Amino acid sequence: MRISAPSITRQNLLCAAALSLIFLSAPFPQVQIVLHAMLVLALAPRPGAALAGALWAVAAGWALEGSLRLLPHLGGTAWADLTATLLVGWMAGRWPPEGLKGWLARLAAFSVAHAVLIQGAVRLAAGPHPWGWGWFWTLLGVPLWGWFTWWMLHAGAGSGRR
Amino acid sequence: MALRAARWRWSRAAWSRLILVLLWLGHGVWVFLGPNPGRHWVRLADALSRPSQGLASRWEGWRATRRDSGRSLAGLRSENARLALELAQLRTQAAQEAPRLAEADAAVRLLGLKQQIPLELKAARVIFSTRPAAFGGLILDRGTDFGLVPDQGVIVPEGIVGRLWSVNRTQAKVLPADAPNASVAVMLIRSRATGVLQGLGSGRALIRYLSNQEVVQVGEAVLTSGLDRVFPRGLLVGYVAEVAQGDLELQVILNLSAPLDRVDTVLLLPSQPPLEVQPPFLAPEQKSPRKRGTP
Repeated sequence: MRISAPSITRQNLLCAAALSLIFLSAPFPQVQIVLHAMLVLALAPRPGAALAGALWAVAAGWALEGSLRLLPHLGGTAWADLTATLLVGWMAGRWPPEGLKGWLARLAAFSVAHAVLIQGAVRLAAGPHPWGWGWFWTLLGVPLWGWFTWWMLHAGAGSGRR
Repeated sequence: MALRAARWRWSRAAWSRLILVLLWLGHGVWVFLGPNPGRHWVRLADALSRPSQGLASRWEGWRATRRDSGRSLAGLRSENARLALELAQLRTQAAQEAPRLAEADAAVRLLGLKQQIPLELKAARVIFSTRPAAFGGLILDRGTDFGLVPDQGVIVPEGIVGRLWSVNRTQAKVLPADAPNASVAVMLIRSRATGVLQGLGSGRALIRYLSNQEVVQVGEAVLTSGLDRVFPRGLLVGYVAEVAQGDLELQVILNLSAPLDRVDTVLLLPSQPPLEVQPPFLAPEQKSPRKRGTP
C-alpha cells in the first residue's frame, strides 16, 4: 500500500505551528527538544521539496539553539537538523512509508541518529557538552508524536496533492 | 534555418540543489570554524610543524645530555682526585697518630689497672728488650732516681711481667717471669694450691712443688699467692696449658697471660707490698671501736 503525500500547504502550516511551539516552549527544554525532533524528522522532510524542508529544519535548529542560550557558537544543531532532514526526505522518497508501524520504527531509529548527529555537530561547533536527557524523552515519545504526525500528515489528509 | 545557439539555463531543481548544497556547506563551514576560527590555523600549523619540532627537541636533548655527561665526567674526575688526595692525607695522618693512639690506649688501660689496685704504683716505659738473649730481660727508663729498688714487681693490665733484677741510676732491668732463673709464688684459682713459678722461656713457665694429689684442669687460671712479698695476692699470672703426673710432684705448665714480647709500658708495684690488697670497691668499712662491756 502506498501512502499518499500530504499537501504542501498543510505540511508548511504544520511546520510553522511546530516552529512556533518551539519558540513558545523555550522555558520547557524537555518539551522543546521533542517538538524540535518532530519538526525535523517528521514534518519537514518531503521527497519532492527538499529545499523547503531544509529551510524548516535549519530554522528549527537555530530556534532551538537560540532559545537555549547555552552554547558559545551556534549553528551545530541547525547543521545536524539540515543533514537529518535531507537524509529522512531522501529515504522517504526512496522507500516511502507504508504503515504506521514502519513510520514509528523509522522515526525511532532516526531520533537516535539525529541525537548522535546533533551531539557531534555541536561538539565540532562549540566543544564538548553533556548529552542530557532530551534524546531519551524524544525516543520515549516517539509513539505519541509519531502517531500524531502520521495522523496529521497522512491519515487525516485526503489522497493526492492539494 | 539559422542555427541559434542553445541558451544554457539552470532549471529550478538545479537552483534548488545549489541552494541546498550552499546551505549545507555554509553551515558546515560555520560549524567547523567554531567560536575561534584562528585555532584551526594554529592547530594546522602545529600539526605541520610537529615533525620539525620533534627533531629540534631531540637535537637539543641530545646536546644537553652530551654537555651534562661531559660536565659530570669532569666533575667526577676532579672529585675522585680530590678524594684520593684526601684519603692519602688521612692515611698519613692515621699512620702518624697510630703510635700515640696505641700509647694512649695503653695509658688508659694502665690507669684502669692503677685504679683497681690500691697501692702506690709507678709507671715506666720499656726502652729496650733483651729477651731473645740468654738471661735477657726488659730495660726500663726509670732507675734509682725515680725511687726504684730491686725486687719490685712489674705488672701490665694483662698480668704480671716479672720483677726488677737490677737498678742503676737511670735505668732498671726486669727479670721476666718466663726466665729460667725467675721465681714467683703462685696459686691455682680453684684449689688454692700454692707453688713456685719457674720460667721455661717463650712465655711459658712451670709450677713447682704442687702435690700429685691436686686436681688441676687445663685452662685454669693461675694467680699470685703473695707469699714472695713481691706481688700481692690475686694478680693474674696465666692459664694452665699442660698437666702431667711427675714422680714427686705435679708437672703443670702454664702460658703467661702478659704479652712479654710486646710490652712497652709497665706499672711498678711498691717494694714489699702487703700480702693481700683489696680493690677500692671491695674495701671494708672502718669498724667502730667496740665499747667495753658490750657483746
